Amino acid sequence: MSEDLDSYRLKARAWLQSVAPTFGKAALKGVPEEEHLAMGRRYQRAKFEAGFAGIHWDPELGGQGLTPLHKVIFEQEEMGFGMPIGYFGVSLGISVPVVLRFAQDREWARERAVAALRGDEIWCQLFSEPSGGSDLAGLRTKVEPDGNGWKLNGQKLWTTFAQHSHYGVIIARNDPTVAKHKGLTFFWLDMKAPGVTVRPIKLAAAGSPHVNEVFFDDVKLTDGQRLSPVGGGFGTAMATLMIERYSASDPTGFGPTTATFVDLAREAEVNGRPAIEDGRVRSAIARSYAMRSGLEAITTRAMKMMAAGMEPGPEGALNKLVSVRSRQKLSELAIDLMGNLGLAWHPGASSKDDWVESWLAAPTGRIAGGADEMLLNTIAERILGLPQDHRPDKGVPFNQIPA
Amino acid sequence: MSILYDDEQQAIASESRRVLDARMDKTRLLGLLERTGAFDKPFWDTAVEQGWTALAVPEAQGGLGLGLIELGLVAQAAGAATAGAPFLTTNYGAICALLASGNADLQGQWLPKLASGEAVAAIAFAEGNAPLPPEPRSVFAGGHLSGEKPGVTAGLIADLAVVWCHHEDKPALVLVELADARRETVDSFDNGRLFADLAFARTPATLLVEGDAAQAAALDILARMAVVTAHEQIGGAEALLFIARDYANERKAFGQPIGAFQSVKHRIAELYGLVEIARANAIHAAAQEGQPGFLKAAAAARLSATEAYDTAARDTVQIHGGAGVTWDSGLHLHMRRARSLAIEQGNMLFWEDLLVDQLMGEAA
Ligand SMILES: Cc1cc2nc3c(=O)[nH]c(=O)nc-3n(C[C@H](O)[C@H](O)[C@H](O)COP(=O)(O)OP(=O)(O)OC[C@H]3O[C@@H](n4cnc5c(N)ncnc54)[C@H](O)[C@@H]3O)c2cc1C
Repeated sequence: MSEDLDSYRLKARAWLQSVAPTFGKAALKGVPEEEHLAMGRRYQRAKFEAGFAGIHWDPELGGQGLTPLHKVIFEQEEMGFGMPIGYFGVSLGISVPVVLRFAQDREWARERAVAALRGDEIWCQLFSEPSGGSDLAGLRTKVEPDGNGWKLNGQKLWTTFAQHSHYGVIIARNDPTVAKHKGLTFFWLDMKAPGVTVRPIKLAAAGSPHVNEVFFDDVKLTDGQRLSPVGGGFGTAMATLMIERYSASDPTGFGPTTATFVDLAREAEVNGRPAIEDGRVRSAIARSYAMRSGLEAITTRAMKMMAAGMEPGPEGALNKLVSVRSRQKLSELAIDLMGNLGLAWHPGASSKDDWVESWLAAPTGRIAGGADEMLLNTIAERILGLPQDHRPDKGVPFNQIPA
Repeated sequence: MSILYDDEQQAIASESRRVLDARMDKTRLLGLLERTGAFDKPFWDTAVEQGWTALAVPEAQGGLGLGLIELGLVAQAAGAATAGAPFLTTNYGAICALLASGNADLQGQWLPKLASGEAVAAIAFAEGNAPLPPEPRSVFAGGHLSGEKPGVTAGLIADLAVVWCHHEDKPALVLVELADARRETVDSFDNGRLFADLAFARTPATLLVEGDAAQAAALDILARMAVVTAHEQIGGAEALLFIARDYANERKAFGQPIGAFQSVKHRIAELYGLVEIARANAIHAAAQEGQPGFLKAAAAARLSATEAYDTAARDTVQIHGGAGVTWDSGLHLHMRRARSLAIEQGNMLFWEDLLVDQLMGEAA
C-alpha cells in the first residue's frame, strides 16, 4: 500500500468537490433521461482521467493498482454528492470483472475493461428469469451447440440497464437432462447481436434503475464467448456474485440520513405538539440511529482489518438486509409525519433526500441482489451452520422437476 | 473511531472466557435465584484473583491503568456465563467518580481498596423510576446525606456508595460509607444482584463534585457503566445465539432438524444481526471513551445491546419449546439477567431520549 489513506480521502474529496457543480445532485435535477445517461458517461470519463476509475484494478487493465480499501474510501466520499454512477454499478462491479477473470481472449478483455472504465461501454448481467430469481439454477434459457459455436433461445428478466448496454454476461441451460446446477454454462454476449430484443419494464419508483425483459431468438455465440466449462456455469456464476464483496455500503440503506429525519420531526406536529417531543418519534429516531451506527462501526472495523492485511468478518453480510428494512420503516413514519403534505410525489426526486421516493423505492432494495429471505438463509447456513432448506429438486434431472 | 483489539486485549478476552468457562456452575447460579442476599462469591473471588478489579484503577493507586475496553471484554465473558458481576460495573462507576472529584485524599483512601477487591461500591443515582432525576430529592447538607434510593444494585453488601443528590440548590455527587445507612433487601426476579433500598438519615458523606460539573460527571459515569453493561449484555445475547443455534441443529421434528424450518432458522439469523450490530456499537463506544462523541456512542451501544439481549432471551426460549421454560434448562438465568441489566443503567426510554437530544444538537 503506497498512499496514506487519510490523504487519499482528502484528495478524493477535493476532486469530487471540484466536479460536483458539473455532475452533482443540483446539476442533475430535472435533466431528461438521455441527457442524464450522457452526463453519467461524461462523469465516468472524468473519473478515469483523474485516476479514480478501477481504483483497485491492475494498471495493465486501465486500473490504478491500489487496494480495495482505497476504492471503499473513494466510494464513501462519492456517496453524498449524488453523482450519476448508477449506470456503471453492474458493469464495473460484476460483469467486467468476471469477463476479465474468465474470458479466453485476454487482449480483447483488456480492451473492453478500458472502454468500460472510460464509460464508453456498459455491460449488464443476465442471470434472472421469470422462473429463476432467488433460485438462480432454476433458469430455462437454452443454449445449444450450433456448428462451431452455440445458439441461444429464451428470455431473461430484471436486467438492469439492458437498454443501454453494449455487452452482457449470461448464464443459460445447455443440458436439461442433468441436475439443475450441473447443466448450466456461462457466456458473454453482444447486446446488439441479431435476435436480441430488449423490452423495458416500468418500475413503481421513478428513481430506480431501469430494468428490462430480454428475449433471445436464435442468437449466435462463438465458443470463444464461453466463460465457463460446458456445464460448469453455476460455479462461475457464484464466483461472480462473490467478486465485489467490499463495495461501499451505506448504513442508511441508500435512503435519507438520520439528520434529515430529525429536521422533519422538528418541523412536524403530532396532535398540536412538536413531533420531536413525541415518544414514538423519538424511539424510532434513536433505534434507527443505533442500528445505523452499528453498521457504520462494522464497516469501519472491516476497513481497518483490510488495512492490517486481515480478512474482515462475515458480519458485513448484514448491511443490505438490516439497513434497507429500517429505511423502509423510517420512510413510512416520515410520510405519516408529513400527513396530507406527504401525499405529493415528485418523480425524479432522489431516494437520499425525498421520503416518498425513498419509501417507493425501498422494496426494490429488499429484493434486488438477493431478497431478505435469501440473505437470512445465507447468514443462517453459511455463517451459523444451520441446516439447508428442504430442496425437493435436489439431484433430480432438470427436465423431471415439476414446473 | 472503532478499533481492532490488540494482542493484550485479545488475551484478556480469551483468558477471561477460559477462566469463567472452567469455574461457572449453572446449578450454583440457579440456587442463587432462590435466596435473597446471597451472591456469586466464587465469581467475585475469581475476579479479584484475576486482577479484573484492578483493571481501571490508575497504576499509582495499585491498579493496572487500563480502561473501558478491557473491562468491557471481561464483562462480555461474565455476561456469557451469567456470572453475578454487579461489582465489576459498580466499582468502575465509583472509580470514575473518585477520579472526577480530584480529591487526592479520598482517592488514596479508596482506589487501592477498590483495585484489590477489598472494597465494594454501589452507585445510587436513581430515584423513583428515574435513572438520573433532574432534581433529586436526596439532600446533602453540612456533611450529611438524607434521602432514599430504591433498588440499588450491589447495595446490600457494598461498603460505599456514590449518590446523586441535591446540595444548596445544585446537583451533586457525594460519597457515603454504607455501614451507617439503612438497607432493605429487594426480593427480585434476579436475586444475586444484591438489590437493596437504601435510606439515609443524616448519614455522614463527602462531597465529590457539584453543580454543572456534577451533572456532567454523573452522565459520564452512567454512560461508562452503560458501556460495560452493554458488553455484558452482548456476552449474554451471543451465548444465547449459540445455544439456540446448537439446539436447532440437534432437535428434530417432522423428520428434520427444527433449524431447517425457516421460522426458526431466520429468527436465529436475525439474532446474529442484533448481536453483531450491538457488538460493533459497544466496541466503538469503548474506543470513544473520553471523546466528544462518547455519550452518543454509549447510548447507541446501550440501546442495541438491550434489544439484542431481550430478543435473544425471548427467541431462544421459544426455540426450545417446552424444554425452554423449565427451571433446569437455565435459560431463564439469561431471561432474568436480560431484564435486570436492561434497567440497571437506565431503561431504553432514558437512553432513547438522551440520544435524540444529542442528535438534535447536531441536526440544526
Ligand atoms: C430493480 C431490480 C434490478 C435487478 N437487476 C438485475 C440484474 O441486473 N440482473 C439480474 O440477473 N437480476 C436482476 N434482478 C433480479 C433479482 O436478482 C431478483 O428479482 C431477486 O433475486 C428475486 O428473485 P424473484 O424476483 O424471481 O423473486 P422470487 O425468487 O420468485 O421470490 C419471491 C419471494 O419468495 C421468497 N423466496 C424465494 N425463495 C425462497 C426461499 N428459499 N426461502 C424463503 N423465501 C424464498 C423471496 O424472498 C421473495 O420474497 C433485479 C431485480 C430488481 C427488482
